[in-house]
Amino acid sequence: MELSVFRFARRTWASDELEHIAPLPLPKMATPAVVVSTLVVIALLLFVSVGPLLWRQDPSQQWLSQISAGPSAPHSVRLILNSGPWQPPAGEPPQTLMVHEANTEFVRLQWPKLDGVKRYRVYRASAHKAGLGLAIAETDKPYYQDQLQLSYQIYRYTIADADTGLLLLARDVRPDAAMSLFEAQLQGLVPVGKVNGRQQWLTLPGHPLGTDALGRDILARLMAGGRTSLFVGVVAPLLYITFGCIFGAIAGLAGGWVDQLAMRFVDFVVALPFLLFMILFRVAFGIGPGENGITPLIVAMLMLSWPGSARLIRGQVLALRSQPFVEAAKLAGVGTSRTILRHMLPNVLPMILVAFSFAIPQAIFTEAFLSFIGMGVSPPTTSWGALCNDGIKTLLSHPRQLLLPALFISVSVLAFNLLGDALRDATDRRAGVAKA
Amino acid sequence: MLIWKAWCKAVAVSVLLLWASLSSAQAVDADKAKLTLALATEPPTLNSAVATDTIASFILAHLMEGLLVYGPDGELAPGVALRWELNADGARFWLRDDARWSDGKPVTAHDFVFAWRHALSPKTASQYAFIFYPIKNAEAVNQGVLAPGELGVTAVSDTELKVEFANPCPYFLSLTAFMTFLPLREDVLAQWGGRYAADADKLTVNGPYLLNKWVHGARIQLRKNPQYWHADSVQIKEIDMPYITADPSAQFNLFRDQQIAMAPLDTGLLSEAVKRGFDIEYFHTGSLFFLEFNFREGRITANRAFRKAVQRLIDPALLVNKIIGLPGIQPAYSLFPVTVKGLKAGFREEYPVMRVTPDIAAARTYLRQAKAELGISEIPPLMLLAGDSPRALQEAEYYQYLFKTGLGIELRIDQQVFKQRLEKMRRGDFDIVAAAWGPDYDDIMTFADLFASWNDNNRGRYNNSLYDRLIRLAQNSNDPRTRFNAMAQIQRIVVDDVPILPTYENGALYVQNPRLRGVRRNIFGGDPLFRYAWIER
Repeated sequence: MELSVFRFARRTWASDELEHIAPLPLPKMATPAVVVSTLVVIALLLFVSVGPLLWRQDPSQQWLSQISAGPSAPHSVRLILNSGPWQPPAGEPPQTLMVHEANTEFVRLQWPKLDGVKRYRVYRASAHKAGLGLAIAETDKPYYQDQLQLSYQIYRYTIADADTGLLLLARDVRPDAAMSLFEAQLQGLVPVGKVNGRQQWLTLPGHPLGTDALGRDILARLMAGGRTSLFVGVVAPLLYITFGCIFGAIAGLAGGWVDQLAMRFVDFVVALPFLLFMILFRVAFGIGPGENGITPLIVAMLMLSWPGSARLIRGQVLALRSQPFVEAAKLAGVGTSRTILRHMLPNVLPMILVAFSFAIPQAIFTEAFLSFIGMGVSPPTTSWGALCNDGIKTLLSHPRQLLLPALFISVSVLAFNLLGDALRDATDRRAGVAKA
Repeated sequence: MLIWKAWCKAVAVSVLLLWASLSSAQAVDADKAKLTLALATEPPTLNSAVATDTIASFILAHLMEGLLVYGPDGELAPGVALRWELNADGARFWLRDDARWSDGKPVTAHDFVFAWRHALSPKTASQYAFIFYPIKNAEAVNQGVLAPGELGVTAVSDTELKVEFANPCPYFLSLTAFMTFLPLREDVLAQWGGRYAADADKLTVNGPYLLNKWVHGARIQLRKNPQYWHADSVQIKEIDMPYITADPSAQFNLFRDQQIAMAPLDTGLLSEAVKRGFDIEYFHTGSLFFLEFNFREGRITANRAFRKAVQRLIDPALLVNKIIGLPGIQPAYSLFPVTVKGLKAGFREEYPVMRVTPDIAAARTYLRQAKAELGISEIPPLMLLAGDSPRALQEAEYYQYLFKTGLGIELRIDQQVFKQRLEKMRRGDFDIVAAAWGPDYDDIMTFADLFASWNDNNRGRYNNSLYDRLIRLAQNSNDPRTRFNAMAQIQRIVVDDVPILPTYENGALYVQNPRLRGVRRNIFGGDPLFRYAWIER
């Protein structure tokens, strides 16, 4: 009896199975999310770098006559020479509430002296709003000069008896746009020293996003603040990821007790509290009050944030070291440096890139947070976080001053995160398989 | 599952109901004559001998009564003292015999003698010990040179108190209304020692209210004192302060929800309050805000021409109207706020101050002069020490901008919390400091002697022999005209030599429940004062 020789059946590959083995194409980079986030990142970088060249306003210039003003176009204002204390001219008292002069530097009111009224209370309200508005003063004289944060709008003034609350007189007033001589000289619009007696008109630049509580142009401040925020956001991760990679690579390549020692050191650094060390670094650097805290901020981030990337790279290097292709290269007599350059680096690089792109939004956010609590930049330097800190004081009356910088922080953090996500998808082939 | 959900809902509803019933405390309750308020912070202590802050002053004004008190119109009125006599050598007080402590014992002259000796004792280390210095031997007793028995205060009988002065003190009557001058019970203090007034049951009071409840950090409750000699006149029976928060927004929200009867306002809340149609009230707190220069060796700010340059640059009116932008806050031009009393009317009406007009050209001329005198070509960066409130920072950034554009000087802002700022001021660790001073007693001297060379609160170490001489002259005189003439000269020195640069006189803005009437906003003697208040139905 002849036994048939046992043979393996010839395996025929089904065509659909072959596709599994064939190398998968890399996921497409140009997904809408990536395109949009890249464009946003580019736009932000242009905004902070080219922006100040196009929008040439000093971010720390305080337009005292335009405190917390809304968006405005360039306009001309009258120069006011005499904005000191005022008394109405002697003569016949007016029959009703009379406006001697009305501009955004002062509104001069005079009214007839009424019998039986000891003290007058002056109310001021926006003409298009109901109610008396704000009681701006109490006076026993039948005239008043209002200089309190006037802006270019119609006001309604109401004079009342302060004791009984009886309303006596009311009138709508539209002040002209104006600027005092002192401010014009301060801003350099009028030469100091020579006072021209004639009335002058000055042209003021517009503020497309309005001004903040000190009359500073918000657009210019967003650009200046973005410079600080993005500078910290890019430089700090660049430094600490580089350091972390080198540290992790050394640990992974050396192995043994060096690796053990290095990793225990990483554990130690992870345990250090960031905020506390941030404050300690400020002291250690001799950063006096009122000086910029950007350097200690970056140094603190460099010294405390690197362990994450060090662990990542060490793990990857350890895994690569025992890979057949690396062992083959070793057997073939390839030198260490060439192994690293030819085999290790190309396999680690995508990871570094991904870690970097995720570190940027984190750094932007850390800077914003520290500036918000007053540990970051000090005035007149600003950043998006510091702008938020300024804006929160006027949140109820002028929410724009908080929302705009907050929007920029959110958009930039989101854009960098999306970019990092896309980058990870593109470089991680296993993730690609899962998706396919 | 369903049952479980229903049960959950029932619990939640009942918890909510319970919460609602607990927190239904109304701002004002006319039936119970009860008032609910929020407190900014808890008083660090209620021991009148060592208390320094305004919160303690507010609560003590309701718990205790001194020899004299501030009446419903802010005038000095009889308190424990029924009548008194004041001359250049001393004062005499005759006490009413129906004044009682909360445990029923009578308030005697001995309680005052003990309290004042106790406050002056070096062991007590009261920060306000200096306020007794017009009394004979007070300074020596405070320094431990003389025994407390040597203090010029004697109880002639249970109802008669005699005070001898070291030098004339025409304002002594207003001093007796100050909290450090309040009486203390020797036996109660001995019983509790260092824990005196640390809890509601550890103090005895003699004023219109009793400290009914004190949950530390959470609640203070005052209730009408039936033992008080004038209890009939006290109309509000209970003052409850179940919220302790310094956040003006939180207090404003409580006010809006009718939980509390009064709330302070700041810039951000002003427009919100206007929009809601609340009546906004303000009052002059009597305090002065100013920039103080450092006169220590080697400081640029010790140069007069430099200070004059700053004076011509900073316009108080511009700061108040543009930067601060709150009604009720007034620009300051003098060391003495408008609330300071003069001979008959206000001091400032009788002795108007010279107003310096801002002028950039003049400021730059002065700066050139300063540089020439100092022999430097460039002014190094200067340090501006400022508080940590939002307004203080805004102000500081404004000065920073003014210095940069107006004079080309870099100003660095050193923002510090209150305690740290005081410490830095004491050490002289600043070039310019944004400081403030609130009056302690109702006399011009509370401001005037601030910059005498021997005053500890003269943080810049300003030393001007003419200034010192004028203060000594006023302190040793009992003639009002001589005193006020000296003060007018001091006012002129402050404008001319610029030891400080006054910026604004502070006003407090607040909203108040319209049914609550008769509340006194006081510069002295506890603010706000509900002693004379009532609730309208």
